[in-house]
Amino acid sequence: MSDVKKEFVHLLANYGHIGFTFAAAILIGLGGGIYLDQKVFDGRTAPWLTFIGLAFGIAAAYKSLFEIIWINKDTDDKKDQSK
Amino acid sequence: MEHPILFISIILEKLGLPVPHGPVGHTLLEQFCAPYMTYTWLVMAFLFLVSKLTLGNLEMIPGKGQNFWELVIGGMDTFFCDNMGREMTDKLFPMIATFALYIAVANLIGLIPGFMSPTSSLNTTLALTVIVWFTHHIIGFRAHGLSYYKHFIGPVWWLIPLLLPIEIISNFARLLSLSIRLFGNIMAKETLLAILFMLAGGFFAPLPIMILGVLVSVVQAMVFVLLTVVYFAQAQEHAH
Repeated sequence: MSDVKKEFVHLLANYGHIGFTFAAAILIGLGGGIYLDQKVFDGRTAPWLTFIGLAFGIAAAYKSLFEIIWINKDTDDKKDQSK
Repeated sequence: MEHPILFISIILEKLGLPVPHGPVGHTLLEQFCAPYMTYTWLVMAFLFLVSKLTLGNLEMIPGKGQNFWELVIGGMDTFFCDNMGREMTDKLFPMIATFALYIAVANLIGLIPGFMSPTSSLNTTLALTVIVWFTHHIIGFRAHGLSYYKHFIGPVWWLIPLLLPIEIISNFARLLSLSIRLFGNIMAKETLLAILFMLAGGFFAPLPIMILGVLVSVVQAMVFVLLTVVYFAQAQEHAH
């Protein structure tokens, strides 16, 4: 497989996937927070653990977004050096 | 949403087997006769028979069938090798190549009227994703032993309470997003085709969507396999 096509496939996979990953991370964080609030602590800590879970979920979402940007930046830098 | 006509379900109903009308059945037999199960078996039988017929006797000078498979398998082999190295490719090739062929055929089969994509049910895609997710952790533990946990705690010790939940959440997000992306894309294609068939099937309205459907099917199979390979490679490499 040629280099251009391989890079295209990588970009397609990573950027086509990040939208779902972003939403999934936020939902898992929020869901975990709600679960802790309502089921584990019986609503005594509501709504704080929900907010904390949401914050962690958003942080995780941005982390996976930046990870993809950094991975591509690394490969770009390597390419520039080899030129 | 289901296709209006699924010929395997009709045959099974004629044979007197219970075909569930909801998404899943209640009894065990009903669950076995659910459309996504029967069409999964159809895809399995198709792949098995085609490879048996074309690869029945291997020859030094390949014929048409053997040539096709050599192209497909050889292409996948180089592709995996570029992304995760020779050693892991040799170990994991049968699993990932099976996923690739199964998902591609299962996606494309839904374009034929009377058939349904097994991947348009969340059960199928979630099963595939759970296998991939557990495998990439097993690979990580086998490669690093117990120090695999260093993948999840970040670079410095005082950031652990902050980074550990973030890493765990983003790891579980893989499980969710990988399954829902494949399911969502294929289910949307199936639903759109079914609606267009009902509305204006006589005027060839579904035709442009079917052309896009071929593209979506192949691309989604490719993306699933590529992400699988990337996750395996990431689990194998050292924590940064």
